[in-house]
Amino acid sequence: MSQSLPMSEPGSPRQIWSVGGGKGGIGKSLLTAALGWHLARLGKRVVLVDADLGGANLHTCLGLSGPTRTLGDFMARRVEKIEDVLVETGVAGLRLISGGGDFLGAANINYQQKLRILTRVRALDVDLVLIDLGAGTSFNTLDFFLASDLGLLMVVPEPTSVENGYRFIKSALFRRLRAVAVTDRVQDLVDSALDARNAAGIRTPLDLLAAVEAEDPVQGERFRAEVAAFRPRFIVNQVREPADVAVGHQLVTACARHLGVRASYAGFVDYDETVWRCVRQRRLFMAEAPSSPAAERVRQVARMLLHRASLRLPW
Amino acid sequence: MSTPSAQNHYEVLGINAQATPEEVERAYRFTLELYGDGALATYSLLDPAEVRRARGRVQEAYEVLRDPARRQAYDQSHGLASVGAPRAAPSNLRAWPQPAARPGESGGVASPPGDAPVMPPAAFSGNQATAPAMAAEAAPAPAPPVPAAVPFEATPPQILVPLPAPGASPARAAGSSPPLGRTPHVLPEPVTGALLRRYREERGVSLRDIANQSKIGTRYLEYIEGDRLDMLPAAVYLRGFLQEYARALGLDPRRTANAYMAQFPRPWPQE
Repeated sequence: MSQSLPMSEPGSPRQIWSVGGGKGGIGKSLLTAALGWHLARLGKRVVLVDADLGGANLHTCLGLSGPTRTLGDFMARRVEKIEDVLVETGVAGLRLISGGGDFLGAANINYQQKLRILTRVRALDVDLVLIDLGAGTSFNTLDFFLASDLGLLMVVPEPTSVENGYRFIKSALFRRLRAVAVTDRVQDLVDSALDARNAAGIRTPLDLLAAVEAEDPVQGERFRAEVAAFRPRFIVNQVREPADVAVGHQLVTACARHLGVRASYAGFVDYDETVWRCVRQRRLFMAEAPSSPAAERVRQVARMLLHRASLRLPW
Repeated sequence: MSTPSAQNHYEVLGINAQATPEEVERAYRFTLELYGDGALATYSLLDPAEVRRARGRVQEAYEVLRDPARRQAYDQSHGLASVGAPRAAPSNLRAWPQPAARPGESGGVASPPGDAPVMPPAAFSGNQATAPAMAAEAAPAPAPPVPAAVPFEATPPQILVPLPAPGASPARAAGSSPPLGRTPHVLPEPVTGALLRRYREERGVSLRDIANQSKIGTRYLEYIEGDRLDMLPAAVYLRGFLQEYARALGLDPRRTANAYMAQFPRPWPQE
């Protein structure tokens, strides 16, 4: 399949942001809910899409009980319109589409279905769609990430999370490149890159670029453009000390130097006991503890994303 | 293999050729940490031999750039601006984190060329003849892109930007000399660098005093007072700097920072 999913028109007011991260349990759902909540408070019309295959729980983050209608109903055509599975959250401007358990992980979701979902999601009369991709790097997860206007990558300052973050970046980019490869020879090169122990010694996108350019300069140029357009944005969650904040900058630097990927650093969120207390009570900390450090950071991240900005350093 | 070759010393440290000695120092420590043993961001990307090579390269660059004479010789042989030369164009790395990004401008994973640098509508009032080029994101960079490098162990407290006190007392009125460390005062707007300097000098407080209390280098304090937007760090850090500066003078930190930043032309929603 060398088709790629439709992307948004430049300048389109409707935006799709997706939050991925490879690893589960690092707070993606909670932060997605928090971001959506705050953006709705800023006056945006927001729809959250819960595509977390590890277990849809965005509704819990928002203090709602289990959804009665899910994206599964739309896919199975039990309902006609995607609007039929939209659920109000009780917060003005914020609505939810639940993925209903295993949605992106489902093996039987084909290209046509993906296209249908994305087209309908994009046609929703809202300002912003925020997709919680959940954990993992399944093709469906990557495809939604790639079709988004902003791809957010959440990590916590821990080895496993960072490893998964890099894996996510490589998987997503290789998948994108696979889709634009024209000749069999170049496709083979991309495929071999997906095998970590390939004979060609291709380990990173930089290696792949070099190999493709040697093989086919025209496609090499196309690949280079695709790599340049791939701009994941890191969010570092559960920051406990200043050195953890710097991890985001280090990831960006390492991506540029060793993967050839121009990532950026959208912000960080403190590890905050208040958040935990709120989670236990099934309350969203943004509403329960708006002056908590974590809530303030979420507002900062939202501002950064709205302005397509990133954290930089004083030199 | 995955380590880009042909980087000059500045690129190795992720700085530009006009970097001050202090910047060289900080960038060196950051980069060294990046390639430290078991460093979070690199251990899974590079094998031990590559890490050693990278570290050796960092050391080599630092040894040259820390030494004014060697640095000058290096600059000359590479056709780079020499140390102390006036900084021509401000680096993108110093840009505001988010100047006038057009609404709806694509900047995502799906965006084509994406994130073009934008010019601010106008130069802010101050001692600058030309408006600095600003970019929401780094402009399309030559490969390998030199990333915005960053803070590290010496991370001063302002990296974790102090949160505004929820009920910061809106103490009124400028003019009268407030005793330091009491009820915070509020300056009349617009709060410019010149106004801050005047206020400070009237109280007989030196930049050194503020630096000692705030742990912010006097150089940055000078940039603040000189409205040197081109030299100041990203807004999230600058806000922290300004709040520390204000605190040291007994000014309301949050309102001072907001008012100062409000004088520059770019969208910056108030909290």
